[in-house]
Amino acid sequence: MNAIRIHDVTKKYGNVTALDHVSLSFEYGKIYGFLGRNGAGKSTLINIIANRIFADSGEVLIDGIPAKENMRAHEKIFCMSEADLYDTSLKVKEHFKWIGRFYDSFDIEKAFRIAEKFELDTNRRFKALSKGYQSIFKLTAALALEVPYVIFDEPVLGLDANHRELFYELLLKDYEQNERTIVIATHLIEEVANLIEEVVLIDRGKVLVQENVGTLLESGYSVTGLAEEVDAYCNGKNVIGSDEAGSLKAAYVLGDRTPLPKNSHLQISAMNLQKLFVKLTEKGGR
Amino acid sequence: MTKLKSMIQYECMTSARYIPIFYAIEYAVVILVTVMIGIFSGSFENGGTSALEINSLIYVSVLGALGFHEDFKMLIQNGFTRTYIFAAAVSLFCFMCGIMSFVDAVIGNLLHRLLPRYDSLYGAAYGYDHFLANWLWLFTLYLLMCCLLYLIALVIHRIGKHLSLYVGIVLGGIIVLIAAFFRYVLPREAAGKVLEFLMNVMGFMSDGTVNHLLPALTFLVLACVFGAGAYAAIRGTELP
Repeated sequence: MNAIRIHDVTKKYGNVTALDHVSLSFEYGKIYGFLGRNGAGKSTLINIIANRIFADSGEVLIDGIPAKENMRAHEKIFCMSEADLYDTSLKVKEHFKWIGRFYDSFDIEKAFRIAEKFELDTNRRFKALSKGYQSIFKLTAALALEVPYVIFDEPVLGLDANHRELFYELLLKDYEQNERTIVIATHLIEEVANLIEEVVLIDRGKVLVQENVGTLLESGYSVTGLAEEVDAYCNGKNVIGSDEAGSLKAAYVLGDRTPLPKNSHLQISAMNLQKLFVKLTEKGGR
Repeated sequence: MTKLKSMIQYECMTSARYIPIFYAIEYAVVILVTVMIGIFSGSFENGGTSALEINSLIYVSVLGALGFHEDFKMLIQNGFTRTYIFAAAVSLFCFMCGIMSFVDAVIGNLLHRLLPRYDSLYGAAYGYDHFLANWLWLFTLYLLMCCLLYLIALVIHRIGKHLSLYVGIVLGGIIVLIAAFFRYVLPREAAGKVLEFLMNVMGFMSDGTVNHLLPALTFLVLACVFGAGAYAAIRGTELP
């Protein structure tokens, strides 16, 4: 099956283990949310997939082709990175020209159309763009590339609300017309919650969750009420976190919902992705 | 191969545009200095300078170092492998060194004919009778500097600034030790033989004749050694 497969990847920086035997897959034709706290290992894994850094052990395969130092993987993947790696002295239109020469699948007309929608001045040099417009340039290049796997690392960094909305709209429209795999690594979980189909949650260099968003949200819920009643209900359940205020308590649970006891004053409600993320990463996993 | 071709085009086209700017500034400064010396000393007899190729040597050395810092990031962002990046960098070095050495050889010879007091680097050592050898000598010397600085930039990137400083100190110490070894330890006869060998590889043969190809060949061999070191270093280079 077509996918980016990550097999048992480990990466250490001195005594710090950035990635600890990570194995996961990004299947073809899905939109993934790649979530994790600062320093969780997201960018490290993305950089390994994009052949920018090397894993100490393990391997990454893109449609069965090793990603490390392999030009056969060139037309398969593109990674829009948070870091500014572009030649800052080149104009945006010059960048488009060169990307068009580097990639067979780059649609230069589409790039100019997207740039126009964002009101990106293509005659400006990269270094003369604001932080937001530098991000817009980078995501424009990624959107105009029709490779099977596109990774966005913090794509909306520095973008205002209108531009963020436009990006999500263009991304979805593009995905409808041209199915491929899109991986979005971001901290703005609620913004991408309605966009993504699958979620990969990474924490302290380990994969905590790889699940369909719907399934994951169905499996998580919160129970609120008097602390004693909440504790009694949660006994034996997978509680991933709790908040307390006086005698009241809210517990966050993963697993099947069991019926509430008779005459109970407890309330059960669904959890959103952000709350689930916060609680899972607070506890360090299920 | 089309990818490699477009990379080489990118490297050459984005760097070549600075060559005319470099020469324009260089000769503007030379003319300005000459005119000022002439005005203040009242004579243009002693004005001017020699060995302008040194400026180009510095320029290509900077290019070698920047060849890594700037282009590596840009090309790795665009999905190229390190082998391709190295091949494109070497192609850029050959392209730039080829053009600049030709320009410098032409100007060096021309200036010497117009102003006999002016001496080019090559002309001062080997004379002005072999233009092609002059061009080849400059080309291989520039290439050697590019490869050396590219290697140094890669090594600094890989081992870090602090460790690089220690390595620099150790290398400096080794050079001092070698000089001391030659002067105080090595017998005079053996030191003479080493010096003779060094003169030979620079084209000054023991029988008093001059071999114009040997120095270029020596530079080329050294450039290949540094280039091989740079390739070994870039294979394991990661984005910071």
